[in-house]
Amino acid sequence: MKKFTLFLSIASFSCLLQAADEVDYNRDVRPILAEKCYPCHGPDKKARKAKLRLDELSAAVKSGAITPGKPADSELVERIFSDDPDERMPPKKSKTSLNPAEKELLRKWVAAGARTSSHWAFVPPQQAKPPATRNASWPRNPIDQFILARLEKEKLEPAAEADRYTLVRRLYLDLIGLPPTPEEADAFINDKSPKAYETLVDRLLEAPGYGERWARDWLDLARYADSNGYEKDRGRTIWPWRDWVIRALNEDMPYDRFTIEQLAGDMLPNATPSQVVATGFHRNTMINEEGGIDPLEYRFYSMVDRVATTGTVWMGLTTGCAQCHSHKYDPISHTEYYQLMALLDNADEPDYLIPEPKLLAKRAELEKKIEEQEAALIKKLPDFDEKFTDWSEKQAAVDWRVLLPASMKTNLPRLEILDDGSIFSTGDITKLDVFTLRFKTKAPLEALRLEVMPDDRLPAGGPGRSYYEGRKGDFFLSEITASAAGKQLKFTNSSRDYGKITTGSGKAAAAETYDGNTTTGWATSGREGKASQLVLPLEKPVAAGAELELVLYFERHYAASLGRFRVWGAARGKEAKAKNMPTNIESILALDRKRWTPGQAEELERYFLRKDGAFAGARKPIDALNKQLPRLNSTMVLRERPTDNPRQTYRYHRGEYLSRKEQVQPAVLEIFPPLPEGQPANRLTFARWLASERNPLLGRVTVNRAWRAFFGAGLLRTSGDFGTQSEPPDHPELLDWLAVEFRKQGLSMKKLHKLIVSSATYRQAAVVSPGLLKRDPSNRLLARGPRHRLSAEAIRDLMLKGSGRLSGKMYGPSVYPPQSSRVTKLAYGSPGWNVSKGEDRYRRSLYTFTKRTAPFASFTTFDAPSGEGCIARRDRSNTPLQALVLLNDDMYVELARHAAREAEKQPVGKRIGFLFRRFLTRPPKAAETKLMDQFLSAQLKRLENRKLDAAKLTGDKKASGDQAALFLLARSIMNLDEVITRQ
Amino acid sequence: MKQPANHPLQAQTRRHFFQDCGVGLGKIALASLLTRELAAETQALPAFRLPIKAKRIIYLFQAGAPSQLDLFDYKPKLKELEGKPLPPSVIKGQRYAFIRRDAAVLGPRFKFARHGKCGAELSDRLPHLAKIVDDIAIVKTVNTNLFNHAPAQLFMNSGSGIPGRPSMGSWLSYGIGAEADDLPAFVVLKSGGGLSGGASLWSSGFLPSEHQGVPFRSDGEPILHVNNPDGVDTKAQRDSLDLVRDLNRNRLKTVGDPEIAARIDAYEMAYRMQARAPELMNFKDEKKETLELYGAKPGNSGATFANNCLLARRLAERGVRFIQVYHQGWDAHTNVEGNVKDNARKTDQASAALVQDLKQRGMLEDTLVIWGGEFGRTPMVESNVVLGRNKGRDHHPQAFTVWLAGGGIKQGITLGKTDDLGFHITEDPVNVHDLHATILRQMGIDHEKLSFRFRGLDFRLTGVEKQQPVQKLLA
Repeated sequence: MKKFTLFLSIASFSCLLQAADEVDYNRDVRPILAEKCYPCHGPDKKARKAKLRLDELSAAVKSGAITPGKPADSELVERIFSDDPDERMPPKKSKTSLNPAEKELLRKWVAAGARTSSHWAFVPPQQAKPPATRNASWPRNPIDQFILARLEKEKLEPAAEADRYTLVRRLYLDLIGLPPTPEEADAFINDKSPKAYETLVDRLLEAPGYGERWARDWLDLARYADSNGYEKDRGRTIWPWRDWVIRALNEDMPYDRFTIEQLAGDMLPNATPSQVVATGFHRNTMINEEGGIDPLEYRFYSMVDRVATTGTVWMGLTTGCAQCHSHKYDPISHTEYYQLMALLDNADEPDYLIPEPKLLAKRAELEKKIEEQEAALIKKLPDFDEKFTDWSEKQAAVDWRVLLPASMKTNLPRLEILDDGSIFSTGDITKLDVFTLRFKTKAPLEALRLEVMPDDRLPAGGPGRSYYEGRKGDFFLSEITASAAGKQLKFTNSSRDYGKITTGSGKAAAAETYDGNTTTGWATSGREGKASQLVLPLEKPVAAGAELELVLYFERHYAASLGRFRVWGAARGKEAKAKNMPTNIESILALDRKRWTPGQAEELERYFLRKDGAFAGARKPIDALNKQLPRLNSTMVLRERPTDNPRQTYRYHRGEYLSRKEQVQPAVLEIFPPLPEGQPANRLTFARWLASERNPLLGRVTVNRAWRAFFGAGLLRTSGDFGTQSEPPDHPELLDWLAVEFRKQGLSMKKLHKLIVSSATYRQAAVVSPGLLKRDPSNRLLARGPRHRLSAEAIRDLMLKGSGRLSGKMYGPSVYPPQSSRVTKLAYGSPGWNVSKGEDRYRRSLYTFTKRTAPFASFTTFDAPSGEGCIARRDRSNTPLQALVLLNDDMYVELARHAAREAEKQPVGKRIGFLFRRFLTRPPKAAETKLMDQFLSAQLKRLENRKLDAAKLTGDKKASGDQAALFLLARSIMNLDEVITRQ
Repeated sequence: MKQPANHPLQAQTRRHFFQDCGVGLGKIALASLLTRELAAETQALPAFRLPIKAKRIIYLFQAGAPSQLDLFDYKPKLKELEGKPLPPSVIKGQRYAFIRRDAAVLGPRFKFARHGKCGAELSDRLPHLAKIVDDIAIVKTVNTNLFNHAPAQLFMNSGSGIPGRPSMGSWLSYGIGAEADDLPAFVVLKSGGGLSGGASLWSSGFLPSEHQGVPFRSDGEPILHVNNPDGVDTKAQRDSLDLVRDLNRNRLKTVGDPEIAARIDAYEMAYRMQARAPELMNFKDEKKETLELYGAKPGNSGATFANNCLLARRLAERGVRFIQVYHQGWDAHTNVEGNVKDNARKTDQASAALVQDLKQRGMLEDTLVIWGGEFGRTPMVESNVVLGRNKGRDHHPQAFTVWLAGGGIKQGITLGKTDDLGFHITEDPVNVHDLHATILRQMGIDHEKLSFRFRGLDFRLTGVEKQQPVQKLLA
């Protein structure tokens, strides 16, 4: 059997275990061709040499490279065996070569007829019949038949079932990411029912902790973080998406829905708020907020990330390879890569105010109350009418009329006119946006007014569209010009009701919008969500019927154009001034008061009541209600662009942003079945396609990830890559069986998880003999249970629960557990780390604020990602810095102290067992108890001798020596390998 | 120099596990432990070894981008043109962060003079460097692809402007590990403000995470969590670690997983690090003249860069492979004159002292010292009313200056020329990736062969383009 050694030790291992002697194209031949030959004779047309391709057999036969059944007549065989260095393939300059075993394998394959088949992963999975096994009693479900059949072939026995302490801890850690308390463990240990195991599994699958545990894995794939990344790395609000994931997992949302809502929830018919929130998945890309960047360049990099992430998560393909050139190994061309990008490209990226029904109802209720109380107050106040009349008569209102543009042109954004005559901007923005508006004036014009307006669809409610570097919702009008009949108009006596510049400073005076200096201008920073106005009287009036052209320039070192605004003109307005008053109020005031409708009169009265200082006292209860108005949460989402402004996607030569080439049309990869006919080639259709059976990889990739979560390694170990370069799976039939079963069971994650943990394979003890360790060091055959270190977050969660400190609070904004501010001080702006108070210190770790340029250090040390890219598989390192964290990090010291206080409440003889079981579940063995007892006595003695100070150790002046010694013991226990290992 | 402590017994134990237990590890980074789960994407390292010229690197990273036109690259022509825009042929197609292309020229702010036998030209803001110009190589023609801080800093450190790639120090840790077994292979120090790229600058990216840089400080606790908690003395720590070790050994006997043995080793190494830290940080064993040479003042936050340079030398002596000393503060969008004065005052003496000190200790020949930022600054002036900027310089990726010393680099040379405006390179361009190839070359690494397979691609520090070590720099 050991005739050939294919790869390095890892790959060869699985091949050696293949008992079959025949050559299998997918398993044996294709990987060699893909690695050694495809770079010059593969799918990449540009790299192809001698017009020969070996990835398509027909082409290879046609060219004479391969004559099936006749190795002697095949140039391929001749060339690889050639002694002539000039003839031999692969050539020397390729820096690769074939070893004798590989050559022989290729010869044998040609001799046997050069049979090919598609790469296994590109063919839809079939559910093979689970094989029969000699030992019929061991298998609990079909998984075990596949595993045992293989073990029997290898003449190996599965390990015995793990003891019940191990099983209960394993199930708790795997399914909900927390250890059981000793009481929870004992409930299972003492449950003598034959269904005890299943009962426990079912209970854990229904526990809220299930969603939290599995959400963390999903957040890795989604590159979730609470900050934007790059230089400024400011905070972002996208935790509502994280909460969506937890809820979806707890509800066991079928995986197709889970997929479609996250990729294209906004495009579903009558999309619910929850479905829109779900699209946060692809908003987890980074945003470069550094001043002076080209924002579209970094949006392009986000798209690159989205294509790569989508490929990894749903197709198990390294699509990212084709960003710069056609894929060297897999059939993905450079153009197809951008076609894939086009499927995802046509979306705007707004913040979304989540219309949560409960909050909306509360708001409506309060608003109604406010209105009623205002109406009552207006009636009640004795001097109101008098004061109101007095005020309204004094107002020098200008009769402003909305000017509707006859045409609008911009450098890039799309402008549309809303019902109220305001202009709304969508689409992409740049560092210098120019809006050119043309009007046909009906009346003469003496003054212009620019009203900048809020809108919930804009960042921070507008009026501007700034979303990075400056304040959100800011704008900067650097210059404005007006001309009539081609003649420049001059402004005079201009004014604005409010002006403020942040990210810089200055007067933001009205006159700075036409001073010819592009670095000065008008902004209304700090007034997000509110309207402001700029009034520009003209030196010389414009006659009626003239063609007026207004050009608005928005130039700053970051993109700062307007989101919503309205242009007004006044026939008589030489003296017009900007008023700190809503435009609709001034419009009413400009009318003859006899013509006010009751509604208009009421609107004015209400405005006066709210504004006039005389009523401040009377208004207090109303102001209090105003303060209670609940604010809606915001989150980052995708929004499909309007049909009249689709984003065009191009191919970029060598993947470089500055090398834009021809436009491409959206499409899925050619190796797969196409998008369903009659459906638009867009993001929603693509999401549905990914989740459907047309995508042969969906099931395989998903079950492989689940397998990895339970067994520490996937059936296919390269979790992110199922392409031709991947090594063959360890149990290919089992992988496909599970993939099909997953779909049969309605794409239910919970059912899949239950199936896996119910297997005898899963229930094996994780004990290994030296012989088996040597034979199968990384446990590919699964002749023993899996044993691996817990993730960074799971370690902290375990310590929280073990010490008795864990908070069960779910959802909401991310929190700041204890950490030295030294960590964040290294990052831009040297921000602090404001440690959360109360139970937020002890929340589950997936709620910890993730700052990309200064990730929570104790997590990083245990291999947690920083959210900079999609992570299909974390490292599991073992370093001295980890020891320092568990020994000395204040966060863990605090927990050890708490555990000691709890232990001290126990009877003296039970304290060691109490502490031990809190973290390890099982009771200590006699030898272990003895070691710990000796340790405690030694420390107590030193405490009594004043060599150690109980108050210092416990941080509590009143603490006993016992408590201090128990603290040292708890701290030691928390550092055991077994504690941070799931076995 | 001090030899790093050797622990043959320990090495023996580890070797036993990896050989006899059949865990096929490739190259093991010594500073970081060890048994990682067998990663299928991890390949055995290729034969990348070349003759070794430098054993370690101290990289004095001048974050924010120093003004080469006011420190190294003297352009009298700019004085002549001051106040006028550059010709369109020069500025065509350039992208800028803050200014418009047609901004006016700003002349050099300081006097320049020639120094040393080599006659290198420096501004009067670098009096200390002037004394060692015959020991260093000045490259006036480094150029980069990016014109914003975080991406350009990332590019300089990891060969890519997008976060997520391994940094140079991580590549070295992964490739050749540390000399020490009680300190990490890759250490990061910082003075000045917070860094644009933050922790992404020393991230291990897709390399195994133990290769990430470990931030150190020259005051207080040098490494996060290296000090025992309140009240835990050395004996209590030792007792605790003994208990942990004994219980772990029991467990190892029961389950037979070699990962437990690695964990036991990791705890012992942590203990050694704890013992090492106070000694490392104790500048009292330095001579007074040494402290004065650097301008180091232990505990004085005004001298952090100097303290860090001295600490860098101590780390180098103790076998740390890659020591990156960041100084943030050179981003002179306004008042470039004041900025250069201030930052040169903070960095010039200690940078030069480090080279002198290494030299007198015989360490310069196998220690590569690099000084430079992420890009240069424009010949054009930056002024902006709203941003309150006046007489500043914007980002200039087309040409900037980096100097190198030791580690097999030629001494007393100035490489490369820029045009009369200091705008474009006219001779000997050195792309950032060329610089990377040069650095790796001196560390005995063929940059084309040190690669890592990730998401289907073989990634290298130097990217996919054809890069070459800069031969003219090699002694």
